[in-house]
Amino acid sequence: MTNTPSFVHRSCYATLAFAIVVGAAAGCGKTQPASFRLNMVQATKTSAPEADLERPWEKWSQDRQSQVATILLAMFGTPDEPLALAESGLDEAKLRLAAGPVRSDIVGRKNGLYREHCVHCHGISGDGMGPTAAFLNPYPRDYRPGKFKFKSTWRDAKPTSADLVRVLHEGIAGTSMPSFALLAPTQVDALAEYVRYLSIRGEAELALFTYAEQELGGDEQLPTTREFLVDEILTPIVGKWAAAEESQIPIAAVPAGVDFGLPASDFANRESVARGRVLFLGDGGCVKCHGVTALGDGQANDYDDWNKTIVEVSKEVAGSLDASRQAPTGELSPEKLAEHRARAEWLHAFVEVLEGDALRPRTIPPRNLRQGVYRGGRRPLDLYRRLYTGINGAPMPGVGPSGPGGKGSVADAEIWHIVNYIRSLPYEFDGELGADRPMIAKDRF
Amino acid sequence: MHIRTMHIRTSLALGLCLVFFACLGCGPQRVAAPVADRQAAETIRAGLVVAATAATGVGEVASSGAGWATLKGRFVFAGTPGQPKPLVVDKDTEVCGKTSKIFDQSLRVDASSKGLADVVVFVRKASRVKNPVPDTPLVFDQKNCEFLSPVFVARLGQPVEVRNSDPVGHNTNIDGTSFNQLIPAGQSTTYSPNSEMGVPKTATCNIHPWMKAYVLFRKDGYVAVSAADGSFSIPDLPAGEPLEFQVWHARSTGPSGGLGLERPDLKWSPKGRFVITLQADDVKDLGTLDVPAGSIGT
Repeated sequence: MTNTPSFVHRSCYATLAFAIVVGAAAGCGKTQPASFRLNMVQATKTSAPEADLERPWEKWSQDRQSQVATILLAMFGTPDEPLALAESGLDEAKLRLAAGPVRSDIVGRKNGLYREHCVHCHGISGDGMGPTAAFLNPYPRDYRPGKFKFKSTWRDAKPTSADLVRVLHEGIAGTSMPSFALLAPTQVDALAEYVRYLSIRGEAELALFTYAEQELGGDEQLPTTREFLVDEILTPIVGKWAAAEESQIPIAAVPAGVDFGLPASDFANRESVARGRVLFLGDGGCVKCHGVTALGDGQANDYDDWNKTIVEVSKEVAGSLDASRQAPTGELSPEKLAEHRARAEWLHAFVEVLEGDALRPRTIPPRNLRQGVYRGGRRPLDLYRRLYTGINGAPMPGVGPSGPGGKGSVADAEIWHIVNYIRSLPYEFDGELGADRPMIAKDRF
Repeated sequence: MHIRTMHIRTSLALGLCLVFFACLGCGPQRVAAPVADRQAAETIRAGLVVAATAATGVGEVASSGAGWATLKGRFVFAGTPGQPKPLVVDKDTEVCGKTSKIFDQSLRVDASSKGLADVVVFVRKASRVKNPVPDTPLVFDQKNCEFLSPVFVARLGQPVEVRNSDPVGHNTNIDGTSFNQLIPAGQSTTYSPNSEMGVPKTATCNIHPWMKAYVLFRKDGYVAVSAADGSFSIPDLPAGEPLEFQVWHARSTGPSGGLGLERPDLKWSPKGRFVITLQADDVKDLGTLDVPAGSIGT
């Protein structure tokens, strides 16, 4: 030790001391109990200042937003203690298994599954804005608008329990959503129920804010009666979930000449694949976005519904803010000036919310069908369902009818031929693309 | 040797510091969200779980009158509309915008009469409806990669024929409904709207992103869209009851597109609403409704 220069000692101790100070500053006190966060984009969007406001706008909008938070607490409880009203159709026992901090109960059964497995991406409120969300592409799903992509039901219908369980069980290929096949079936069920809970809660929140904007005047409060909260707000949302099982799309019989037991390249499937190709390029309209070569290089600068909401609101706010800055305030009467100021205050608050409470919008590219990666599942039945209704929330339209009794652009049974063609794409002989073969993504960089 | 060990220790300690900082994080600043009032929530909840007592009369509009009446008027734009902006057409250019250039249709003002077109006027709640739902299909068409109706209204249950008169495929994506269907060149499909909209929603084509129209489906069909000269008329309205009207324009700066006007006689609200009670067989003319330049956004 005598050989060691003293400055080494000093710097070592100083660093350690510094680390301890930082550690102390970070602290290890009792953490705050988890609470749901308001949907601030919707809250701000629906609280544009009224002309007849007597209180300052900020105070007024905060009061309204706290009132919504209070009603939601009454109807749904907290992330630690979820509550389910009988009318919600939710199973409180399942919710309790999924909710709360991660812990084991007296018989060693794992509780707090949502926070163990989901929260880091999907967020405590199911807003798809957990700590890791910003690093993921695509972003994790925001359950609050109540839209789900990969399901067996009509486009605007809710997914069935089996649909949610399937996504949890298989994960979503090509995204950061992993498979939870290693969890016990009761645990997967509990998580599916919790997703439904967060979604119903989120939709109720949207409905409350929309009602406040549409129906309430300046200083009116939201009604808190059972007739309003249960019959008018909750029941329509729950009704859709209850109707999911009977909203499944019909599945046409697989026509002759289609053999999914054999590779698409097999002679037996030759005519079906050729027919599918004709539909892909023609009446199916697939070519418009997925491109002639199916590399996903057609119309590619669109947004999905979740991102589009943010894009459109941002554009509107930026436009209004510009107009507000240019408005000649000198010639306004005192009342008009107060109105103008309240509006400017609202717009500035909105900009802050959009920066802090929303992920930066991203476009949704059409899938490259030559990769053989299918997010909603790779079975022919999965591809059939994606084609039939399109993908809810995404720009992808359906080629089947939009509802029972409607007429699709491609007959139900013919959709199987498109499925067969899509199945053939990843294995298609490169030379068939000829000289027109565009650059693949890898070559562009 | 000792010095090297010390160096390693120092680096370890530094690493530890970094880990601490990383744990503290520097995530995006989220604005403070208002929080719930626990006590008030428990009171509300007590009211929700208790079995409902006999329902008191809810605020349904009582069917109090008889006879039918008409409401009409004309919207006139008080500002100077700029030149309509040409839209960026970069898909299927061999068809789209080939016959005539495609312009932004969201503000259509008649050059001579200054009439403001595409203002939607509808009843928010009516207790009686005169006419049954017509079963003749309404046509929602698109040609030259444009929707032919900038604002399209229909009554629930009435069949809507979504048509594509172009030689290229379109998908028609109506927000808030189940309808997003691909319509091949020259074909059409029938859709029967089944849920009421509170405000007009967008209809878009994802293949041709510049295409945009507005759609409103209402249960009672008491909807009018102002014509090119700004005039509108809603016939067969239930007389003798207070009717609340909503007035909407795509470019309005009001909340949810509500068009607020300076009409103190009608108590026209900034949300674009007014209440009026019509007498039987009355043809009520609201006259010229001036839309100030400031209530139409960019």
